[in-house]
Amino acid sequence: MTVLDRPVERAPISKAKDWRFLGRSADFWLCATLTLIVLLVQGWNIAGYPTVFDDEGTYLAQAWAIDHGVGMAPYTYWFDHPPLAWIQLSALAWIPSMIFHAPGQIVVAYSRIIMLPFTAASSIFVYVLARRMKLPRWSAALAVALFGLCPLSVTLQREIFLDNVAVTWILAAFVLAYSPRKHLWHHVASGLCAAFAVLSKETMLLVVPALVVALWQNVHKDTRKYSLVGFIGAFILIGVQYPLYATLKGELYASGGRVSLWSGLKYQLTRPGSGSVFHCCPKPSDAYSVVHNWLFYDPILIVAGSVAVLLCLAFYDTRPVAIAGVILVLTVLRPSGYVPAMYVIGMLPFFALGIAGLSYRLVTFILTFRANPVFWQQITRLAMVAVLAFSGAFYVVPRWYHHDHDADSQNINTGYELAVEWIDSHIPHPGNARIVVDDTIWLDMVKDGFKPGRRDIYFFKLDVDPDVMTALVGTHEKYTNAWKTIEYVVQTPYMWENAPKVAGAVNTTWNLLNHSKVLWQYGNGKPDSTIFIRKVTPNS
Amino acid sequence: MLAVAVLVVSIVLFAMAFATLWWMMHAWRTPETLASTSFSKPVGETGLSFTLLLPIRHERQDVVENTVQKMLESSHDKFEIVIITGADDPETTGIAERLATIDPDRISTVIDPAPRNKSTGLNSALLSGKCHGDVIGVFDAEDVVHPDLLTHVDHAFRSESADVVQGGVQLLNFYSSWYSLRNCLEYFFWFRSRLHLQAEKGFITLGGNTVFVKRELLEPKRGSSEQWGWDETCLAEDCELGVRLSSAGKKVVVAYSPEMVTREETPDTITSFVKQRTRWNQGFLQVYKKGTWKRLPTNRQRWLARFTLSTPFYQAASGLAVPIGIAIGVFVKVPMVIAMISWMPAIPAFLVLAFEVAALRDFGKEYFGKDRADQTHRVRAIHYLKLIVSMPFFQILLMFAALRAVWRELRGRTNWELTEHVGAHLHVAASTSATTSV
Repeated sequence: MTVLDRPVERAPISKAKDWRFLGRSADFWLCATLTLIVLLVQGWNIAGYPTVFDDEGTYLAQAWAIDHGVGMAPYTYWFDHPPLAWIQLSALAWIPSMIFHAPGQIVVAYSRIIMLPFTAASSIFVYVLARRMKLPRWSAALAVALFGLCPLSVTLQREIFLDNVAVTWILAAFVLAYSPRKHLWHHVASGLCAAFAVLSKETMLLVVPALVVALWQNVHKDTRKYSLVGFIGAFILIGVQYPLYATLKGELYASGGRVSLWSGLKYQLTRPGSGSVFHCCPKPSDAYSVVHNWLFYDPILIVAGSVAVLLCLAFYDTRPVAIAGVILVLTVLRPSGYVPAMYVIGMLPFFALGIAGLSYRLVTFILTFRANPVFWQQITRLAMVAVLAFSGAFYVVPRWYHHDHDADSQNINTGYELAVEWIDSHIPHPGNARIVVDDTIWLDMVKDGFKPGRRDIYFFKLDVDPDVMTALVGTHEKYTNAWKTIEYVVQTPYMWENAPKVAGAVNTTWNLLNHSKVLWQYGNGKPDSTIFIRKVTPNS
Repeated sequence: MLAVAVLVVSIVLFAMAFATLWWMMHAWRTPETLASTSFSKPVGETGLSFTLLLPIRHERQDVVENTVQKMLESSHDKFEIVIITGADDPETTGIAERLATIDPDRISTVIDPAPRNKSTGLNSALLSGKCHGDVIGVFDAEDVVHPDLLTHVDHAFRSESADVVQGGVQLLNFYSSWYSLRNCLEYFFWFRSRLHLQAEKGFITLGGNTVFVKRELLEPKRGSSEQWGWDETCLAEDCELGVRLSSAGKKVVVAYSPEMVTREETPDTITSFVKQRTRWNQGFLQVYKKGTWKRLPTNRQRWLARFTLSTPFYQAASGLAVPIGIAIGVFVKVPMVIAMISWMPAIPAFLVLAFEVAALRDFGKEYFGKDRADQTHRVRAIHYLKLIVSMPFFQILLMFAALRAVWRELRGRTNWELTEHVGAHLHVAASTSATTSV
């Protein structure tokens, strides 16, 4: 009967020691301290390391476009990724420029501070999730430390990647699925967060089956069908907003020259594969290089994490997290799939939780397997655990400290900073001048005064975006002489490696690079490691 | 300008659809909440005596006889039945007197001298001096009452010190037609979930049967001009009683146990369904206009009262959510953000549909499952399909009934449109086994 004063059975509260400090529990202080440490390590020298990356600039430019009412992107949005991540970034992207606006402070580099809230949230969620998975406090703390302080994390979680935003949402979804009261609305919210994660980065779809398993483990048989229906309903209803948006724009399935959701999807699913991760000779496959790069930053989390998630499949409590990790690892190992460098970001929380879970199992095993309450036996077991813990620490900590120290002290973006400063001092009032750059400094050019889109041009749009080319040469002209309408080009290693090389077609970018003189450079002169500021010479 | 209008309408529709969803799903919010919606097991001796009022009008003998027989099988030891008929209905009065001869000690009859509606009948029973029980219970002519119901209600009164106990009523003939399917589910959500939230909030619109009230709260008091009994001018006298008692701070307890619900039938034609629904809607409107709820002490409670009494109307309006979204998307040119927002109300509307599908499975398992008595009807795939396809049509019916109620109220037409009972549910035997499971 429903009456407020009838005693209702509550879900059992964990019998944690009731230690409190300033009114907060031990869990709170542990989690808060760890999160603060992670933020400090990741935040220090955030603008200097790693090198600004073109993708970061692209996403930030798209957030800029939303902030300035231009649309979903500065150029035509072509549905390459669902836009929810940079919609969220647009809420924060205007803040860093208010604080860091000197010419040498590259917009992309300093805007990385907007990733710190996502890192903080993710760290907290990792802790809470570990505790809700019934891991002890030390294991949860280990999970957060692994997740936030690993050199891979420190490097990649600072960068403005969609994956970082998506990871925060998928972790929120897991935390909600593990609702201790098995609350229906928490489960519905979990579906909502999962949809947000997928709409931030579509690769999170791979993790959703693991989330369903997590939900299944955490429902009560009387309310199970409602929780599942609510979860799936919320997930689908929010997920469908993306095709709805495309439909309302008339771009769900278009033909001719128009962009469409369908073609964006097709592009992502049929991208040329990166090859097998094992293919190293004679020429390393892309996948091999990518994985090798990850292993350079930190082999420990990847190797130990992969093993841990595999072994954790065997244990009920850690199974959902293990399933997520295993699915992601198997996807990397596909010989024909496309593996981008930031893919590992999605794997980090599951590796961390897997290792934490496995450590707990190992320690419990050592301490309790056929244990007798004999003093010297117990001491021996404790000693074994201590030895394992210390040897692990002695192996891992120095390596991580070394890499993290680099991250927190080296400034490897000096070249870009000096380039932007040079442009600011030598081209103070660009007027209608045109400059071609990659997205790392596209926003800085806007800051300098170049008109965004048609005067400040992202090199990838040359020859492929009709709107851009029309602005250069008019509607019916060929693009062969488009390069002559541009005044400047900033050649970066990224541009040099990625400028389109289609035989028999017009390559405006190459025309620019071949018909210009160097005004300024930073580096040893080799195009794969030097930044050149070039003035286009139309008569050459 | 148009954009602003679309935005406002979308936000309002979203709020209504979300409120419908939230209140609908109250019982299942946690396993503990679900467990608390059932009757608790009676312990100890029974303590109260019951008078069961059974107003009948133009009924068939077999229907009423079945009801009375079932009541007599109750396991409770202290109860009496009072059958009420109208002075203008000699045929049914004859049926009542014949039934009274089955057990003259426990069954008596009352004739309402000036029959206008159910309330006049019930009130004349109160005045007749034939009600001797501590608690007055009300049942309808076609109700199938579970033998253990009175014992459980007795325990509920005493353990919770309640003034009112509302038991569960369930329509069972989901197979009769597409709207009866939805009607059954409506009752399922109402008695399983929504009423409990109303009780928790302290403002409840009672149902018309399987409701038990302490006699002292209903009988007229000497020398007092305070309203007693049921309101004879109101079409939803049950709702009005609940509002009056809640506003006076009386404690209402709601309990729903599947094995002990009172089984009822849906109206057998769409016209009668619409008439019944119009009557209820109009009744809610009358209660609102009457203003008894204004006696509630706090502002928050009064807003809750307004909200609860407008339930049928915003429920009907929330059916506009999806069609409006589609219409705007197709016909109206507004900024993309506004267009996306105009589709937002569809999200809770479709979630409601999803939960209805889950509830249909629950309903099927509880009442027609493998271990239940009635195996002639099963909830099959076709029923789920009917459920999904009929959503817009049912919403149209509800909206029509809501509008008709407003129209009739404005025109001052307050006569009682009677619904016929054909006993469509009587082939369903009462179940005997206990708990609900998924």
